[in-house]
Amino acid sequence: MSETVLQVRNLAKRYGPVVALRSVDLDIKRGEIHALLGANGAGKSTLVKILSGVAQADAGSIMLTGRSVRFRNPSQARAAGLATVFQEPALIGELTVRENLSLTHSDPYQVREALASFGVSDLQFDELVRDLPLFLLRLIDLAKQLVLSPRVLLLDELTAALPSDITERVFSVLREAVRAGQSILFISHRLAEVMELCDRCTVLRDGCNVETFEPRDGGEGRMVAAMLGTPPEQLTARESRVIHHTQEQVPLLDVKHLTVGPLRDVSFSVHKGEVVGLIALEGQGQDVLFAALAGEYRPSSGQIVVCGKPLSARGPADAIRQGLVLVPADRATALLPKRPIRENLTLPLYARFRSWGAIRWKAEKRRIEDVVRRLAIDARAGAAGRLSGGNQQKLTIGRWLASGFQVLLLFDPTRGIDIGTKRQLYVLIRDLAAAGAGILMFTSELREISLVADRVLVLYNGQIIEELPPDTDEETLLSACHGLEVAR
Amino acid sequence: MTTAPPRPALVPKPTSRWARLRRRHGWLIVTAGFLLVLFFWRFSQLPKFGGFELRTITAGAMVVAFLGMGQAIVIISGGIDLALGAAMVFANCLSALWMKGQHTGMCFLLAIAVIAIGAAIGTIVGTTIVLSRVPDIVVTLAYLFVLSGAALLILNQPGGGTAQGFRSAVAGGLSQPLPSILWTVGVLSVLWMPLKRSTLGVKLYAIGGNRAAAYLAGVDVSRVRVVAYTLGGMFAGMAGVINTAYTGSGDPRSSIGLAATLSSIAAAVLGGVALTGGVGGLVGPVLAAVVLGLIPAIMLGEGVDPNLAQVVQGCVIIVVVMIGTWLAVKRRAT
Amino acid sequence: MSAVTAPADQASWRDRLAERPFVALFGVFAVLYLVTGIRDHGLFTENGLRAVLLLTCPLAIFGAAETLCMLTGGISLSVTMTANLAAYVAASKSHLGTVPAIGLALAVGVAVGLVNGLGIGVFKVNPLIMTLGMSSVLLGITTVGLVGNGFLAGTTQILPVVTRISTGTLVGPIPSNAVVLAVIAVLLIWGLGRTGIGRLIYAIGDNTTASRLAGVKLWQVVIAVYIGTELLAAVAGLLYSGISGGVAPDQTNSYLLTAIAAAVLGGTSIFGGQGGYAGTILGALSLTVLDRLLTSLNTSDAVRQVVYGLVVLLLAWLYARVTGRRLLS
Repeated sequence: MSETVLQVRNLAKRYGPVVALRSVDLDIKRGEIHALLGANGAGKSTLVKILSGVAQADAGSIMLTGRSVRFRNPSQARAAGLATVFQEPALIGELTVRENLSLTHSDPYQVREALASFGVSDLQFDELVRDLPLFLLRLIDLAKQLVLSPRVLLLDELTAALPSDITERVFSVLREAVRAGQSILFISHRLAEVMELCDRCTVLRDGCNVETFEPRDGGEGRMVAAMLGTPPEQLTARESRVIHHTQEQVPLLDVKHLTVGPLRDVSFSVHKGEVVGLIALEGQGQDVLFAALAGEYRPSSGQIVVCGKPLSARGPADAIRQGLVLVPADRATALLPKRPIRENLTLPLYARFRSWGAIRWKAEKRRIEDVVRRLAIDARAGAAGRLSGGNQQKLTIGRWLASGFQVLLLFDPTRGIDIGTKRQLYVLIRDLAAAGAGILMFTSELREISLVADRVLVLYNGQIIEELPPDTDEETLLSACHGLEVAR
Repeated sequence: MTTAPPRPALVPKPTSRWARLRRRHGWLIVTAGFLLVLFFWRFSQLPKFGGFELRTITAGAMVVAFLGMGQAIVIISGGIDLALGAAMVFANCLSALWMKGQHTGMCFLLAIAVIAIGAAIGTIVGTTIVLSRVPDIVVTLAYLFVLSGAALLILNQPGGGTAQGFRSAVAGGLSQPLPSILWTVGVLSVLWMPLKRSTLGVKLYAIGGNRAAAYLAGVDVSRVRVVAYTLGGMFAGMAGVINTAYTGSGDPRSSIGLAATLSSIAAAVLGGVALTGGVGGLVGPVLAAVVLGLIPAIMLGEGVDPNLAQVVQGCVIIVVVMIGTWLAVKRRAT
Repeated sequence: MSAVTAPADQASWRDRLAERPFVALFGVFAVLYLVTGIRDHGLFTENGLRAVLLLTCPLAIFGAAETLCMLTGGISLSVTMTANLAAYVAASKSHLGTVPAIGLALAVGVAVGLVNGLGIGVFKVNPLIMTLGMSSVLLGITTVGLVGNGFLAGTTQILPVVTRISTGTLVGPIPSNAVVLAVIAVLLIWGLGRTGIGRLIYAIGDNTTASRLAGVKLWQVVIAVYIGTELLAAVAGLLYSGISGGVAPDQTNSYLLTAIAAAVLGGTSIFGGQGGYAGTILGALSLTVLDRLLTSLNTSDAVRQVVYGLVVLLLAWLYARVTGRRLLS
C-alpha cells in the first residue's frame, strides 16, 4: 500500500577525527509525516546536510523513489524531488522578495497562494527581505519549497521561529500535502508537536538510528528515553523540585516604568536568589527589553536600577560593569568560533583597559578548570566552533561564571538544545540562584518554565500583563500570552 | 486549545515608493549632485569652456571609469580584484605592441582580441580563487605580481603605438568629447542594463549579499563568481585599450597598475558599491571616476598646490565612506 | 552504490598538520633554502646567511605591522607610506639630534595609526578604504613637504645610529638589525599570547559582536592595534633608509604586497582571529630566499616577477590544501 519513497542505508560521515554519522538507516513511506529526533551531537544536522545536498556522505546509499542518488549541491537534491526548508532562510536580505523568487525560478502567483493558506495575505513582493521578520522569511521559504511539489519535504526546526497560531495553519497545510501523496521529514525538538503531527518517528543517538516507532506508542517518555539512552523513570525524578521563594530587602534588579521602543511602562523586580521567568509570543517586545537591560538602548522614560544604583549604560560594557550580563539566544553572536574554549571563557576578564596587561596564567587555568568541571563541558574539540550546540551554550553561560555577575539575563537559552543538556542547564540555573544571583530568563518553552522559575511574568504588546505561579498549566500560560484573561 | 484572538498585523507596513526609490538610488543621486557642483566649479574657473575642456575631463576619466565598472561588478558579487589595474596595464602594453603601425580597422579588431584576452585573464583569476579556496585578496595579490611582470615581458619600456584613426574614434580628437561619452554610455546601456535585470545579474547580487543563502537557494555560486571576475577582466581589457587610444602608447611600469587598482576601488566605493557586496551599480562608479578626475583639475585652477590634490582625494574618499557607513548603520537601527 | 570510508590514518596527519601550521611552514622554508643554496653556494656561507637575514628584517617588520591589523580582521595599505614619511622626517630633522629625530619619526607612526584607528574603530570605515585614503593623504603630505620651503625640504642626513644598526653586524652571520627584529618578535609574540590585549585582538578578529557583548570596547582595541601597526611601519622605514642610504617618497612601496603575502603564508588569516607573528617571520624569510633564488637564475626583472607571483600563489594553494577547512571561515 504505502511504498518507501526515501530509503537511506548505512550512511556514514566523519569530519576529521569526529564521527558525525556512524551508520544510519532511514525509511520514509509515501504519504507519511516522519519525525527525526535526536539530541545535539546525535547526527541530525549532518543527516540533514547530506539529504539536502549541502554535504556528501563518506559511505552508504540513498534511494529516492527506487533510484540511487547522490547530491552534490542543493539544486540537485531539489531537482530529484527532495526539497529542504533550512533553519537559516535561504533568502538574500539585500534583494526583494520578487528577486529572491526569480533566483529559484519560483512562480510568484503560486507562492502568494501558498502564503495565503498560512494566513499571510498582504505581503508586498517588492519589499526587501531584510525588512521582514524572521517568521515571515521561514514562511516564504516554506512556500517556495511547497510550490515545487517535492516528493519529500525536509523541514528543519521549522516551528522554532513561528508563532503558535501560524504553526497550526502550517500544520493543516502540511497534512493536506501529505494526503496528496507527498512525504515529510520533520525535524524538531518540540516533542508535543511531534506527537500532534507525525505518523512515525526515528530517533538518532551517537550517529546511529536507535529506534523507529509510532509516537502514540510510548509517547514523549519513549522519545526522550531513546534520545538519552536512559529509562524514563530517572528523568521524572529530576523534574520534581521544591521551589523556594526567597525575598530580600533590596532587589538586585528593579525595573521601574520602563518605556522604550514597543515597551510601555514595564515594571518588575528580580531579587537575590530568584529566577524570574518571562514568557511571550513572537515580537511582543522581549528582545527590546533584554537589549535595554543589557545597555544597548537608553529608555525614553523610566529607570533600570541594579543593586540600588540606576543603570547608565551606553553599551554592554557599562551594563556588565554594573553587574548585568546577557546570554543571547543566538550562539553565533556570543561565541568566538576560531578560538579555544579557554579564550571564550575568559573573554570578559580582559575587556577592561586595566586588564590589558600580562595574564596570570596559573590563576586563569584554575578558574577555567573549575568552570569546565562544573558545567561538564566536553573539552575535547579545540576551537569553540566545533562544539555541539549544547556545549556551546554552556560556554556562553560559563564565561559569566568565570568573571562574576549580579544579575544574569538569559534569552531563550534552551532554544535548539537537546533534552539532556537542557536539564543540565536548568539545574545550573537553579544552583546559581541558590548561590545568590538574580536571574531573568525569557523562554519560548512554556512547558519547562515550571522546572526553573520562581514566578512567571507574561509580556504582551509591550506590557507586563500578568504574573503567574510557575506550576500553572501550559494552556493557561499560552492563553495569558495571547492576552486573554486567565483565572489565577 | 483556545483559539487565538486577531493579532496585530503579521506583515509589517510596506515601505513607501518614495522610501524605496531613495534607498535604491539615493547614493547615485547624491553623487550626481556632487558631480554637478564640481562641474560648475570647473566651468567657472575656465575663461572658455568648449569641446577641448570637456574632452579633457571625460577622456581623462575614462580609464578609471571603466576599471571602476569592472571592479564594481567583482565587489558586488562579494569579491575584490587587486590585480585589475595590472590587467589594465597588461592590456595596454599588449594592444600598443600589436597596434603599432597598423591601420584603424585592424586596430579595432586587435582591440576586440585584447578585450577577449582580458576576459580570459579574469576567468583564470576567478577559477583560481574558486578552486584553490584561497581568499580573493591573496590570489589577486599574487596575480598582481604575475600580470605586472607579464606586462614588462611584452614591453620592457614605454613604447608601442596605435593608429591615429583609432585614437580619434575611441578617445576623440583634442576637442571632441563625444566619443568618450558615447562609448561609456554605450557600454553601460548595452552591457550593464540588460545584465542587471537578467537572472545572472540577480545572481551576482545574491552571492554578494549572502553567499550561504544563495548556495542553499540553489545558485551555482562558483560559476557565478568566475563570471564576475571574467566580466571584471573584460572591463580591464577595455580600460587598457582605451588607455592605448588616449596616450597612444603602452607603459608597463607596475606603479601605474597598483595606482589604477586603488583608483578603481575608490571609484567603486565612492560610486555607492558597498565593500560587503550585494549593493550598488555601475553608473555610480562612472560618475565617481569623473569626480576623482575633476578634483586635481579644480585645485590647479584655484592655484592650489597640485600635490595637495592627493591629500584632498584621500580625504574625500575617507569622508564619503564615513558618511556612507554612518547612513547604513542608521538605516539598520530603525 | 557505496563509497569507501576515508581511512583513519590519512585523517590524522592532516589534522595534526592543520593544528600546527608552523611545521609545514618551516618545511617550506627549509626546502626553499636548500634549493636556493644548490644554485647559489654563497647562501651556505656566513656572508650569505647574513645577507638573507639583513634583507629579511625590514620585510619582517612590515610583516609584523600587517599581522597585527590582520589579526583583527583588518589590513593596512598605508604602512609603506608611513615608513617613507617617517624616514624622511628622521633624515631631514637629523640636525636636531638622534633622539629627537627618531622620536619625531616614531611620532609620525603614532599619528597615522591614531587617525586610522579613529576612522576604523570609531567611524567604522572599512580598513581597506581608510588606509587606502590615508596612503593618498600621506603621499600628498610628503610631496608638499618636499617642495620649496616645506617642512621636509633641505638637506637630509641619515642618522649615524640608524646606519650602524641597519647595516652593521652583531656577531658572525647575524646583522645588527636582527636585534631590532628580535626585540619586536619577543614583544609581539609575548604580547599576543600572554596579555589581555592580545586575547582581545584575536577576539575582535574572530567575532566583533561577541566581543562587544562580552564588554570589550572595540574602538579602544582598534586604535591601539593601528597605532602599533603604523609605529612598526615607521621603524621599518627607518631601517630601510639605513640600508638604502637615502630617502625617497616611494622607496618602500614594493614591500606592501610582499608583507601581506608574508603574513598570509605565515598562517595569519585575512579574515582575522587566527595566526601569529612567528609564522610571519618564517613567511618573510621564505619570500626573501625565494627572491634570491630568482635573482640567482639570472632572468630578467619581468620573468622574476611572474615567477614570484606564481610561487606565492602555489604556496598559498598548497597551504590551503594541507590545512584543509581551517583557512575557510
